Amino acid sequence: MHLTHLNALGEANMVDVGDKQETRREAVASGRIVMQPETLKLLTSGELPKGDVLATARIAGIQAAKRTHELIPLCHSLALSKVSVEFEVNLADSCVNVTALCRLNGRTGVEMEALTAVSVACLTLYDMCKAVDKNMCIEAIQLDSKQGGQRGDYQRTNVQTPIVTGDGVSGEVSVGERFSPPCVRVKFLAELRERVGESEAVVELDDLTSRDISGLKSALVQRDVRFSVLTDQRTLCAINQVMANDDALVTDDDEVAFFPPVTGG
Amino acid sequence: MTKWPSSRRLRGAKVEIKLDIKVVIQAAPFAMAYGYDDALAGRSDIGAVVSFTGLVRDFNETPDVTGLTLEHYPGMTESTLIDIGEQAWQRWSLQAVRIIHRVGYLAPGDPIVRVLVASAHRREAFEACDFIMDFLKTRAPFWKKEHSTQGEYWVKERHSDQKDAARWN
Repeated sequence: MHLTHLNALGEANMVDVGDKQETRREAVASGRIVMQPETLKLLTSGELPKGDVLATARIAGIQAAKRTHELIPLCHSLALSKVSVEFEVNLADSCVNVTALCRLNGRTGVEMEALTAVSVACLTLYDMCKAVDKNMCIEAIQLDSKQGGQRGDYQRTNVQTPIVTGDGVSGEVSVGERFSPPCVRVKFLAELRERVGESEAVVELDDLTSRDISGLKSALVQRDVRFSVLTDQRTLCAINQVMANDDALVTDDDEVAFFPPVTGG
Repeated sequence: MTKWPSSRRLRGAKVEIKLDIKVVIQAAPFAMAYGYDDALAGRSDIGAVVSFTGLVRDFNETPDVTGLTLEHYPGMTESTLIDIGEQAWQRWSLQAVRIIHRVGYLAPGDPIVRVLVASAHRREAFEACDFIMDFLKTRAPFWKKEHSTQGEYWVKERHSDQKDAARWN
C-alpha cells in the first residue's frame, strides 16, 4: 500500500489516469446533521426563514459534486453521469441523514465527489437553519460503498441506521435490560416509526386493560394520541417476531413490533 | 454476511430429508449468478434451475425514482424467508432453494432480490420460484422508501401482490 498522490520524492502529485481502463464507477457516501427537535420540526414543516431547506441543500450537494476538482487539490475534473443527494429526517435521533450517490464511466473513482456532495449538503442545511439553532453538529461523514476500478469494490461493514429497524441481532429476539415490573417492549418499524416519532417504548403489563395486543394498543393510545395510528387496520403486529392479531396474548418481557404492510421484493 | 441454512427436517416423513434452503440478507450487492454454483455443487440429480432477480426501477409511484432505502426487521426477516422456503419444499419436490435480499440504499438498476430454486423437473422449479416471490412480497418484513426528484415517501403495498399470493391458497 502506498499513497498514490505522493511521488517518489514525497511531493504532492496528480495521478496520471490516461492509461487506466474506463469502467463504470459508483460511490455512496453519507453523513448527518444533528439539531434541536424544534429546529427539525421547523425544517420539516417548511417554516424556516430561508424556505425549502431540503430542496436547496440537495441542489447544493449536486453542484458541489460537480465542482469537487476545484476544492480538492489533486482531484481530476470528472464528467459525472449521475449525482443524487437524498435526505432522511430522523425524528427519533433528531437529525437529518444525508446520502449521496455519484456515478460515471471513467478512469477514476467518484468517492471524493460523493463525500463532497454530503459535506456541502450538510453545510447548506447548517446555513439554512443557523438562524434558529447554532448548536447543530455535522457528523459521521463517510464513504459507505464504492464500485468499479482496479482496487475493487468497497463496502463499509458497519453501515448503521436506517438499514435496520430495531437493534435485534439477526435471529435473536433482542433482550434489553430487564425491567423490574412486568412489561412488554414495543418497537415501531419503518413508516410507523416516523409517524409516531419514536422507535421503541416500554409498557407495563399492569397498564393494559386486557393482556393482549388490543389492550396494549389502548394503553399506548391513552398514553399519547400519536399512537392512534396503531388502531388503523393496516397496521400489522408481531409478538417475538411471529405475526399476531389483536387477540394474541402478551406476557412479561415480550417484544411486540408494530409495522405497516410489507413492501419488499 | 450471515447465512441461514434451514436445518429442520420434515415432520412425519418416513425418510429424513435435509432441507437445502439458504437465506441471506445483506447490504452489499450480490452477483447475478448468486446461488447457482452453491446449489448445484457436486449434484447430478438436478434437472431444472429457475431463478428470479428483482431490480430497482427508475419509475414506480413517481416517474423519477433516484433510489430507494430498504429497511427490515432483523431476525424475523430471516425466519420468515426460511419458513416460506419450507412451505415451498412441502408443496413441491425441490432440491435446493436460495434466497438473497439486499437492504439499505439501492440505486435504479441495482438487483434487490434473487430467488433460485432447483428441482428434478422444470414445472416444479417454475411454480416454487413464483410461490416464494409471491409470499416474500406479502409476508417478509421489508419496507421500501423511495427517493425521487419530488421527495421521498414510503412505498404503498399493492393489491395485486395480495391477489397473486392468494392464488396459492
